Amino acid sequence: MEQNPYIPITMKLIKNLCETEDKLVNTFTLQFLNKEDEENFKYMPGQFAELSAYGHGEAPFGIATSPTEPGIIKFSVAKVGCVSNALHLMEEGTMVGVRGPMGNYYPMETFKGKNLVIIGGGFAFTTLRSMAVYMLDEKHRADYGDITVIYGARNPGLLLYKEELAEWEANPKINLITTIDRPAEGWNKHVGFIPTIVGEVAPSAVDTYAVVCGPPVMIKYTLPVLEKLGFTPEQIYTSLEMRMKCGLGICGRCNIGPKYVCKDGPVFSMAQLKELPSEY
Amino acid sequence: MNSIIDDIRKTARQLLTEGKVDVVIGYEKGSLPLKATPCFVRSPQDVDKLIWDQTCENNLAAFVAKTLGKKAIIAKGCDSRALMVLIQENQVVRDDLYIIGVSCQGVIDQRKIEAETGEIIGASITDEKISVQGMECDKEYSFTDVKDVTCQTCRYPNPVLEDVHIGGSIEVPEQATLFADVIDMENKSDNERKAYFKEQMSKCIRCYACRNVCPLCYCQECFVDCNSPKWLTGGVDSAENLLFQTGRALHLAGRCVECGACSRACPQGVDIRALSRKVNKDVKEMYNHESGLTEEVKPALNVYSTDDPEAFLVKE
Amino acid sequence: MKISKEKFGQAFDALVAEYQIIAPVITDGDVNYKAVKSFSEVKQNYLNSKLPPKSFLFPQHEKLLSYKKEGKDVTVKNELKVEKTILFGIRPCDAKSMLLLDKVFKNDEYRDPYYYERRDNSIIIGIACNKIAPTCFCSSMGISPASSKGSDIFLVDLGNSYHVEIITEKGKALTAGLQELAELTAEEQALVNTIKSAETPSKVDVSTITAKLDKMFDHPYWDTLHEKCLSCNACSFSCPTCHCFDISEEVHKNEGSRVRTWDGCMAPLFTLHGSGHNPRDKKKARWRQRMLHKFNYFVHNNGDIACVGCGRCIKSCPVNMDIRQAIDGVNKAELVVD
Repeated sequence: MEQNPYIPITMKLIKNLCETEDKLVNTFTLQFLNKEDEENFKYMPGQFAELSAYGHGEAPFGIATSPTEPGIIKFSVAKVGCVSNALHLMEEGTMVGVRGPMGNYYPMETFKGKNLVIIGGGFAFTTLRSMAVYMLDEKHRADYGDITVIYGARNPGLLLYKEELAEWEANPKINLITTIDRPAEGWNKHVGFIPTIVGEVAPSAVDTYAVVCGPPVMIKYTLPVLEKLGFTPEQIYTSLEMRMKCGLGICGRCNIGPKYVCKDGPVFSMAQLKELPSEY
Repeated sequence: MNSIIDDIRKTARQLLTEGKVDVVIGYEKGSLPLKATPCFVRSPQDVDKLIWDQTCENNLAAFVAKTLGKKAIIAKGCDSRALMVLIQENQVVRDDLYIIGVSCQGVIDQRKIEAETGEIIGASITDEKISVQGMECDKEYSFTDVKDVTCQTCRYPNPVLEDVHIGGSIEVPEQATLFADVIDMENKSDNERKAYFKEQMSKCIRCYACRNVCPLCYCQECFVDCNSPKWLTGGVDSAENLLFQTGRALHLAGRCVECGACSRACPQGVDIRALSRKVNKDVKEMYNHESGLTEEVKPALNVYSTDDPEAFLVKE
Repeated sequence: MKISKEKFGQAFDALVAEYQIIAPVITDGDVNYKAVKSFSEVKQNYLNSKLPPKSFLFPQHEKLLSYKKEGKDVTVKNELKVEKTILFGIRPCDAKSMLLLDKVFKNDEYRDPYYYERRDNSIIIGIACNKIAPTCFCSSMGISPASSKGSDIFLVDLGNSYHVEIITEKGKALTAGLQELAELTAEEQALVNTIKSAETPSKVDVSTITAKLDKMFDHPYWDTLHEKCLSCNACSFSCPTCHCFDISEEVHKNEGSRVRTWDGCMAPLFTLHGSGHNPRDKKKARWRQRMLHKFNYFVHNNGDIACVGCGRCIKSCPVNMDIRQAIDGVNKAELVVD
């Protein structure tokens, strides 16, 4: 019988880690229970999945791991609603449901042979991490040119994946720039809002793609900076948030014009978004 | 009737021309026979579309809080009572509101007509007669035959709050028994009542037309939409529907102005009014309160006094 | 060919053992589709049902799965249950709507098993409209009051008998055993011809609406269209093509189920993000969505307009929003030339 796209696979929560000092973002590490489930869950950076906290409901979250990290998938989730609250409180070892992978992904094929500048703000860094890890993998690193990551948060304690960021700082294969909104004690890196920092440190637009994820206001002010640097709408990608339920392009709520963010997105180029109504 | 329409238009024109209001909320002819529809007139040139007759069934007070700017509103007795409660509950700024009061002889119950004539193809209203051309048959009615059930027991056809009054006023006949319909319901056995509400509630499709048409259902987040805690599921069985409808009726206790808009709005013909009437009777008996009659008397459950009856707290 | 209602009724009753038969009946004064056990229960000479028959393919409330939690473990059970069903007495507008729903519940990647298992196990017996309501405008929507599109078997009511047309293989299989089919008399043939050539008196022009709406997202037309709308879902829930749904959880202690329920784009909560942001928080945006979805987005995605002209939304609207007027308004709106 064909797969029923509404029935989740069961996965085990093996780690429930608090990421940020405000305790609002946790990273959940889920383990596949068998090889078959893992094989059916072939994904790419930028895709998302519907995560079930049984007893509370289901909600969509971007996959924070890269397909180059076998056996597990991770989600970094902010505590905002019923499902995310339940997940935050969940004990390690609990079984959860996962439907996916869903949606499209960052065009890793198109990016081949090009430089990448990855721009992220706050907890919207999850699928960007997936992409960076994917490209850093030894099988893929040679496919891409320079990789620049510009990642900002309000303060140092709100940056996700702090240990990994420290590793990247020491890694010559990736150029990491972190920034915080206001000066903080012990912080000796960049200070300033993402758009400003992008203007200061972003590489040339020649042979480069930019991928931007973050709060709407950050995206709004970063895009003109990128344009000024010479990035065309075709060279800029983003991943959109939308209220979703089915994740299958059926239930009807996540559309922007005729496109469903859950199925036709969540990744869009700015060129594609310019063709759509500005209703997101 | 025609002179009332003329006066409404004249008043609206004057208010708009003098810039006293930005918009006049009134009624225009609808797309279906015997159906008026709310309209928003913003220019003196458009005032001639305003109408007034027994098809003006919506309670326009429902639109006031959502309409920006200074507004004039055509208000029947029940509409004006709803405005009064909205003002008492700080939902509407009195100074932004110009109330054009019109006494109301009641509105037509279309469902009653359609039950006999089939779908209405055409209709005309003269002073005392309503001539209907239906899919099944043509028929003539006198207005009292097809007056909406809410209007049959209306005791406040004249606006209680207004800046100008148009037309004459209507004399209210003394009713021998108030709430005769509720008493009938109370006299039924538990099982009969249960069966009645089960049947009625099984028709509800939870479209929330009743809630959204109600001028006093203005909560930013209705309890049915709240998900933590979740009071109701998305289920549409009669038990869940009854929970929604009783929850709503109780939230309107001491506030409902008996305009009947909820029952008329229901596309499924659910007898929503049976619940609100019972609550209104209880409030009247316990607190001697009727909502929205004077500015001074606040909705019964919005105020506290030490001699409030507590019959509902202690089972006697 | 025709069959007498008496013989038809016998064949109908014989199918009750094998099929769930859904047919128009009178409930509390209204015509609605319900499961029946005998042809004698079926309402004759009705205009159309109050609510569309879509709920038999896409129920207002349905369990997708159930689960049981024990400690940290969970067991999940698929709740898809399907009965072989005959949908009898389906009007042409509703039969067409099922063809449109077919496009929604299957796309290039996914097929909705809950809808499709029901759909594949259903046989549609359509029936021509002998009477046309003033709110009907199906003739503008690519069908007519006697269109057999979407039906497996199509009937014309001739009073004491039905004119029968077998439209699909499914229909053929169901009627294989039917004996006693007779030729129409000349008089009956004339009646069939009259019914078949009828058009709805009420019409709208949708010939250019999709192309026009391509250019109208920012048009001032939307500023006032929505004004009297109450944001209820009376229109969406009575629409045979509206299909938006919600998925939620119903929990009792350590057991629960995941259910889907009808939802609609008129409700402000429909698009509310967890963050509090809402891309369609204004009624204006929601009415624009309704119009664009039906007459533009759906056409781009599925090649047809998502309205069948049944007129139910017009009848059910508490404030008399009339989609025919909304369509006319689009046709009349002046485009700003840039």
